[in-house]
Amino acid sequence: MVRRLSHRLVQSVILLFLVSIAGFALLRLLPGDFAEVLLLSQMDGTLPDAAAVERFSAENGFDDPLPVQYLHWLGNVLTGDLGTSFVTGESVSGDILLRIRQSLILALLSIGLALVLAVPIGCFCAYHAGGLADRLLAAASVAGLSIPNFWYALLLALLFSLTLGWLPSSGHGTLAHAVLPTLVIATTMTGVIARFVRARLLDEFHHAYIRTAKAKGLSQTRILLHHALPNILPSLLTLTGLQFARAFDGMIIVETIFAWPGIGSLLVASLLNRDYPLIQVCFLVIACGYIIINLLVDYLVTLADPRIQEAI
Amino acid sequence: MARAHSLFRPKPDAQRRQTRAGLLACLILMIVLAPLAAPYPPDQIDILNRLVPPGWPHLLGTDQMGRDVFSRLLYAGRLTTGAALLVVLASALTGTLLGCVCGYLGGWPDQLLMRFCEGLSVLPALAIAMIIAGVMGLGLAVVLLALTAVHWTEYARLVRNMILVERAKLYVQAAEALGSSRRRIVHRHLLPNIAAPLLTMAAYSLSWVILAFAGLSFLGLGVEPGTAEWGRMIADARNHMRSHPHLVLAPGLTITAFVMLVNLLGDGIGDRMRSRHTNLLTLRKTIFKPRS
Repeated sequence: MVRRLSHRLVQSVILLFLVSIAGFALLRLLPGDFAEVLLLSQMDGTLPDAAAVERFSAENGFDDPLPVQYLHWLGNVLTGDLGTSFVTGESVSGDILLRIRQSLILALLSIGLALVLAVPIGCFCAYHAGGLADRLLAAASVAGLSIPNFWYALLLALLFSLTLGWLPSSGHGTLAHAVLPTLVIATTMTGVIARFVRARLLDEFHHAYIRTAKAKGLSQTRILLHHALPNILPSLLTLTGLQFARAFDGMIIVETIFAWPGIGSLLVASLLNRDYPLIQVCFLVIACGYIIINLLVDYLVTLADPRIQEAI
Repeated sequence: MARAHSLFRPKPDAQRRQTRAGLLACLILMIVLAPLAAPYPPDQIDILNRLVPPGWPHLLGTDQMGRDVFSRLLYAGRLTTGAALLVVLASALTGTLLGCVCGYLGGWPDQLLMRFCEGLSVLPALAIAMIIAGVMGLGLAVVLLALTAVHWTEYARLVRNMILVERAKLYVQAAEALGSSRRRIVHRHLLPNIAAPLLTMAAYSLSWVILAFAGLSFLGLGVEPGTAEWGRMIADARNHMRSHPHLVLAPGLTITAFVMLVNLLGDGIGDRMRSRHTNLLTLRKTIFKPRS
């Protein structure tokens, strides 16, 4: 377990390093001279003369070789200085932590809701495979994967906030604000996870240990809770981790539609504004966040399944 | 009774598949023939007939600029289908080529490719595609490139893993013992045998690409404003959603139906391919022309 984790840890560190290079390249590979682009944004679109540009780039180290610039930039990032926004002129690291918090709240709520719904549904459908509920689940999960989530989000907003007036259609703060965004992200995930739980349980039911448990005269509930479910837990965790990444794709859209102040809506706003430093921060936050989440999921999987010794 | 049931079972399945295939064919035909089927040009603005409810002569009504919604839906379908097919094709080709080479040769290129693909698979694909598109500047070509950039790794991983499984099998060893060249083994033996899962994957990945494309356009990061595109149409109609819900309903239902049919097509291919023996032969004949 230690070996596997250290292996993954080294991999993650390498990945973080690559991500940081990509993040650095994101800004420096802009069309045109970086010093010029930066000055243009600071001077409201009027470009100063060539001598001033040269002085500016010498002062800020833009004439140094790229590796030196990279190390300089990395030092700044690690100490929390992520540059200033092109649009507002303020430091971009300002409210980034709040944004991360809001996105995490939304993600955890959705995944929590999806798991709470999906596991019982999956179990029920596994016990009644081929029945009405099972076929409904199959149809619903295909539908869930086929509906564009932005349209689904708009439909929910149209029904629950514009027509019925039960829930607010945008903003954040109260639990009511979180209901619609959570629902949109959780629905698709529920279908996928429930189908997975059903399929894995059906596989497990063929194993000898289930037969033994039945022969011992254990109740169905006990077999499910103490025998079958613990055995599918590791793969369920892995799937949930993967779904987390997919959930973010949905969150970008959902946060934008419901004006939820998370990383997703920040990313869209910065892309539409061409606010490159802000795009860079979003990229770093998303990439690092996912590397950490993945590592965490790996750790949980090893905890849940001590048999896993080797990576791959 | 049970026997009779199992005897009759394949028929409804086959029928269902035919219905799906027929529906998909109709949709594709409508989309391909959009210039003939569409009653109006997609960009013809008619300010006097703004926001007309569905009826005659505007089947699905008109939008906030007086453009015919039905015609726009058809033209949007053309754009989306073409774009998504291009992305899938480019991703599949890149992924298959690299996956084949790395899976067959092994060694450090294989390790490098797999670590790279694994690393990328951790990250949310749509977000990365958005960032690539956003930094490179917007436009259709850039969006296609960005989607391909995040999508090809899925194919590379699938192909590489399947090649590893297949090349350990006896028929490949036999071909190697016969002295076939690596190229010939990959072409004549490995590729035809991994074609079935690859096709299934292509159908599913097509549905992902269509949704991602529509999502990007909806956010304003895909095609230019005013283009007839499903996601864009929904975004443009958002402000009129309460008074004219059909403007949001029609494109949304179209995407859902289209993607659902594509998904079911994937299921259908998957089901068929599970009975491999007969089908693979026909598949090999149809897709990979045998070289005599």
